[in-house]
Amino acid sequence: MTQSSPLILLIEDDPQTRRFLKTSLGGRGWRIVEAESGKTGLSMAKSENPDLAILDLGLPDLDGVSVVRCLRLVSDLPILILSARTQERDKVEALDAGADDYLAKPFSTGELDARLRALLRRVVKAAINGETFETGELKVDLARRKVFMAGNEIRLTPIEYRILHLLIRHAGLVVTHRHLLKDVWGPDHVHDSHYLRIYMGQLRHKLEADPARPRYLLTEVGVGYRLSGND
Amino acid sequence: MVWQGSIRGCVTAGLEERGSGRGRLLQTPQWAPYRQHNRYAAYLWGVAAPGICTLIDWPLRHTLGPASILMIYLLGVFLVASRFGRAASIIASLLSAPAFAFFFAPPIFSLAISDIENVVGLAVMMVVANVTSNLLERVRFQADIAAQRESLATALYCLSRDLSEAQDEQAVVRTAVSNIYGELGVPSVLLLPDAGGSLRYPAESPLWQSLRGADLGTAQWLFDHNKSIIGDNVDIPVKDHVTYFPLESAHGMVGVLAIRTASVPKLSNREVTTFLNTFLNQIAQALVRVRLAMEAREATLQAEAEALRNSLLSAISHDLRTPLTRIMGAAGILAERENSLGPEERNDFKRAILEEAERMSELMSKILDMARFAVGKIVLHREWNAIEEILGGALNRLEKALQDRPVRIQLPEGLPLVWVDAVLLQQVFTNLIENAIKYTAASSPIDITAERFASMLNFAVADRGPGIPKGQEERLFEKFYRLESETAKSGVGLGLTLCRAIVEAHAGTIHAANRSGGGAVFSMTLPLHEPPQVSLDESFVSEP
Repeated sequence: MTQSSPLILLIEDDPQTRRFLKTSLGGRGWRIVEAESGKTGLSMAKSENPDLAILDLGLPDLDGVSVVRCLRLVSDLPILILSARTQERDKVEALDAGADDYLAKPFSTGELDARLRALLRRVVKAAINGETFETGELKVDLARRKVFMAGNEIRLTPIEYRILHLLIRHAGLVVTHRHLLKDVWGPDHVHDSHYLRIYMGQLRHKLEADPARPRYLLTEVGVGYRLSGND
Repeated sequence: MVWQGSIRGCVTAGLEERGSGRGRLLQTPQWAPYRQHNRYAAYLWGVAAPGICTLIDWPLRHTLGPASILMIYLLGVFLVASRFGRAASIIASLLSAPAFAFFFAPPIFSLAISDIENVVGLAVMMVVANVTSNLLERVRFQADIAAQRESLATALYCLSRDLSEAQDEQAVVRTAVSNIYGELGVPSVLLLPDAGGSLRYPAESPLWQSLRGADLGTAQWLFDHNKSIIGDNVDIPVKDHVTYFPLESAHGMVGVLAIRTASVPKLSNREVTTFLNTFLNQIAQALVRVRLAMEAREATLQAEAEALRNSLLSAISHDLRTPLTRIMGAAGILAERENSLGPEERNDFKRAILEEAERMSELMSKILDMARFAVGKIVLHREWNAIEEILGGALNRLEKALQDRPVRIQLPEGLPLVWVDAVLLQQVFTNLIENAIKYTAASSPIDITAERFASMLNFAVADRGPGIPKGQEERLFEKFYRLESETAKSGVGLGLTLCRAIVEAHAGTIHAANRSGGGAVFSMTLPLHEPPQVSLDESFVSEP
């Protein structure tokens, strides 16, 4: 990836949305290549070698989930999904298929900006390991596996730490239930959502001042969890 | 009368053959079982009775006079008449006369009777025997008729009771077929017209009492021509031992009933004819009733869809027009004379456009959600969920609207997981909290509590607003009902309707009430399910 200006592949069939996104992203110094169909998008993902893809779920030729799967076969570039409200289940399916985050239409440029930055940062972070992660009053020493809240060390069980670690690796991005279950408990447990709910509850009670109104461990109901980013 | 005629027609034309039915109607006087099987036993008793009387009288012949001896014979005949019917009693009386003449009336051991008194006595006995047996026969016949009437009345009662429970055509078809089998012991099928007026077999798979192989052509002909052709003396079509009865109501033909008549005994009895008439009439009435009910249901649905459309239209036009006006105004100014504006003003207009568009988008998605849930059936995607998370999700969604309003949340420690659709339950909490925001002052607190009662979980969302007008507590949950219909408070009146639909889909309940000390409280109860076992073993976890 180029240090100065990331290249974004925009797969979206509506020309007006493309134009607005191009102007908005271009203004931030990001370069954009456009594709108006799933097939063109897939071939451009190979030829242009983009740093990130924005994918609309409602394409005329291919459904979004298959585009995600095809993209994942050839590269692990971050994928941001744009979904309409009626595509709840498609959205989760696309995330489980390997997309990195989603934005529900309509969205503001501010939200889009935050998501894209989180996505690009994830790529950077994957390269640097063994650092400390900080957001608000939460501080995690990844090398020594220690968690601090407002300076006090919080003791986590192995599973709790593992959940937190996965969320930190995707800080600012949504992590689906399936992804968490698979990563922490293994592929046999992807449907055991009750495990996740119980441990997530424990983790919240340890890290949040008011677990019903969390600041860090945010719930995306029906989709997964998101650790608020360290903007 | 057309109806009467058609029934008579079918009875004489169709039910000629006699067979071995098993229905309840077969226990009628004509086929009373003892007549069939014990007739010869009855004749035997008719012969035996005078013999027994003779044996009783013989030792008493010196003590009793001829009149008393005759009385004993009369008693014998009477007993035979009461037990075995007229034929046997006639036999008994005919045999009693010579027996008396031979053994008791002088000259003894000769059929001649010398005493005129004995001749008169014998004649009187014969007449009395005959009259009593006739009377007894009539009493028995009346009793049989009464029993038959009772059985027919029971049959009709059963049918009308079963039919009154039938809620749709399928149920009427099932009831008719099984009742006909129960009464007549024959298979039948109810052929009903489709939308185009063509008779069809029932859509459901046939019952074991159903008739297969009815001729749709014949039935259709009858259905189409009933009014003009069927009348007195016109035979109902019978084909391959299947008789076709038209079912007619005040609204015209409703269908055709086909009954296999090959195995029905001869039913010439007037009672049975009337019975069949009523039976078919009831089926026709039931069909008309369910059809009208169905039409009424459809009309209600249509009216509701219409109301939904109107309500959505008015919500869209009213609630979306306001922000749209502001956006158009601001954008117009920017497009036409941006250069004449100062930087401050320019920013104000731009921000206005953004804010109004955001408001519109929020409204739009809310209206769409309401419409989607209100029209479609609710399908649950249940999972084990933590209430804390669902509530947190709802509060997170309403962050902007809540601003700095105090929200007091009281969840007891160790609440169990709930087996619910998280997305929908979050919608319930969102709607309840949003209502509290909408109807109370900006600084007024909202209290959210949860409590566990045995196998139930109770939630309450309470505010300190104006409360609910008396008597309106249940109306709030009605579709399109709004507390303040023509105010600036936006909404389509579907929020609480949706809440109730979602909660009821989870087998829970939701109610509104006024809170002691002022304000409204919405309480919801959800049943708890036994959560699966969770292994707390963490030894398998590898280091990340």
